[in-house]
Amino acid sequence: MSALLEVENVTMRFGGLVAVDDISFSLDRGTVLAVIGPNGAGKSTLFNVITGVYTPTAGRVKFDGADITGTPSYEVVQRGIARTFQSSRLFSDLSVLDNVIIGMHTRTKAGVLDVLFRPGIARREMAACVEKAEALLRASSGDLYEQRYRPAGTLAQADRRRLEIARALASQPKLILLDEPSAGMDDAETDALVADIMRLRTEHPELSVILIEHDMRVVQAFPERVMCIDYGRRIAEGSFEAVRSNPRVQEAYLGAAAAHA
Amino acid sequence: MGGSASPAAPGATSAVATSILLQLGGAALLYAILKAEQGWQVLTLLGLLGFGFYLLERFPWLSDFATESLARVPVVTAATAAVIVLGFPFVVGSNTYILHLLIVAQLYAVLALALNFQLGSANIPNFATGASYGIGAYVSALLALNFGVSFWLTLPIAALAATLFGFIIGIPSMRTRDTYLALVTIAFGVVVHQLLNNFDWTGGPNGLVGIPAPSLFGHSFADPLNVFGWKLPSQANFYYLAAALVVLAIVTANRLHNSRIGLAWNALRADEIAAKAQGINVAWYKVLAFAVDAFLAAFAGTIYAFYVSYISPDNFTFLVSVTIMTMVIVGGMDNIFGVIVGAFLLTILPEKLRAFSDYRLLFFGIVIILFLMIRPQGLFPQRLRQYGGRK
Repeated sequence: MSALLEVENVTMRFGGLVAVDDISFSLDRGTVLAVIGPNGAGKSTLFNVITGVYTPTAGRVKFDGADITGTPSYEVVQRGIARTFQSSRLFSDLSVLDNVIIGMHTRTKAGVLDVLFRPGIARREMAACVEKAEALLRASSGDLYEQRYRPAGTLAQADRRRLEIARALASQPKLILLDEPSAGMDDAETDALVADIMRLRTEHPELSVILIEHDMRVVQAFPERVMCIDYGRRIAEGSFEAVRSNPRVQEAYLGAAAAHA
Repeated sequence: MGGSASPAAPGATSAVATSILLQLGGAALLYAILKAEQGWQVLTLLGLLGFGFYLLERFPWLSDFATESLARVPVVTAATAAVIVLGFPFVVGSNTYILHLLIVAQLYAVLALALNFQLGSANIPNFATGASYGIGAYVSALLALNFGVSFWLTLPIAALAATLFGFIIGIPSMRTRDTYLALVTIAFGVVVHQLLNNFDWTGGPNGLVGIPAPSLFGHSFADPLNVFGWKLPSQANFYYLAAALVVLAIVTANRLHNSRIGLAWNALRADEIAAKAQGINVAWYKVLAFAVDAFLAAFAGTIYAFYVSYISPDNFTFLVSVTIMTMVIVGGMDNIFGVIVGAFLLTILPEKLRAFSDYRLLFFGIVIILFLMIRPQGLFPQRLRQYGGRK
């Protein structure tokens, strides 16, 4: 079976700045890839290229057998890629429950005419969404379910991350991209997050995950495959141990002097 | 209960009582305001209203309790509302001025509900609602005058024409955002006004005169209405017509609000990038909001044209769009009831402040500012959606 995601020689330039420089990798179903690298290395840009926010300057992105290079981001979701954002972008003035229901947008169908003239169909679809959303919130760690009628903007930081993941799962993705999910979490919350991601993988064995992380404790928990990016280029890839001991990675993180010391 | 702390849910009996009493009280207050002639009467009533809003702001559970009561017994609520709306002209009697105010207020309520899809749900500052209103009025008036098309047939045609216009402004507008979007819509509004003013076939600045009154089952809307021996002035015909349109607008707004479409609009209001990441086609939903707005506004325009039987470009200026926008903001963005209250208040208040003659508009401004100081989020702010399972 071919890989779920294939990124082929993707380059993304903004004027003179090369944010992503000729990166290729592929990802199989049910696997986890951790992407590490210093700030500004191009990790989030890579996510934006995969999810169709940016059209790459060169290269191709293939997903599930189809070329999705330059496909608008709303269609990318439809095809099965969901994501979370580095600075969690919830719909703050809507309830927790509504946030998750909006995540199901691509999996619901009622159009304007259905809503206006066939209200029964639209209402049943919505009721099914509420049920599914409540199930997703119950499955999430923490007490999101109990807080489902709170405006999302009033949640604590850890809950905001959990809600973003629940919202991404609501679109029934084949691939989920998590952009620094542990940002702003304390140690206990980070451990809970790692447990959440592990549970996610056991519950959805087919789901692939790409994880951007700075917190090495999270990366260490998914050591099979780690990719390190610096200045837009892939400088190392392999198991966590191999990448960690790679001199170029140490140089990127600690600076040349420290690496040679 | 879920998030917000509120006292125990109302029981069925108290819900019925609350629903009926609240609506009767609201109707009585509206009647009192409409009947008030003297300056002090108007001020007293405004003071009472202000105090009511103060209580709502101070004790948020009051509005939770009221909303839950009304929602708990929907049949009673709807029946009471129907009795009040149907019975109001009988109480008003032969006072055609009050009926006129009510018709205009209802048409503005429809316009405000139309704009609410954009401004309230999706945060699209559209200043061209007045233009869609005008297009509805002119299309139907021209059809009736030149081709003798009946009122009932012009309604859908005008609405479709205005919806087309909505798409036409929507498509270039969705490339812009916020301030720039507002400028694009202002430009469209001004262009439409100028075109109406300069074309020959729209009657130029003189407008269109002699639009025939509609008739239904042989009853002309220009004739007084006879109901079981009660004689109501001819305005009552249009009052009921406008009321029917308000009901249609409420049902439309309610269905859209509680659907994935309303949620998608809310999502792009909160965060456009996050909305795209949920698979929402942002451009399409923006254009859709323009189209729905234009569709409903055109209905209001058609009824207005046939009601006053004379329209000119000055009925559909930029200022009309601004007024509609103020109604939505004062009443409460994305709250159907709030928007209607805003429309009634802003239609009736300037008339009632005539007692202050030259200072009328100054007073009007002060009252609105004071109300907004009491209720900064609008008189009836947006509420979180409640789904059946909330217990």
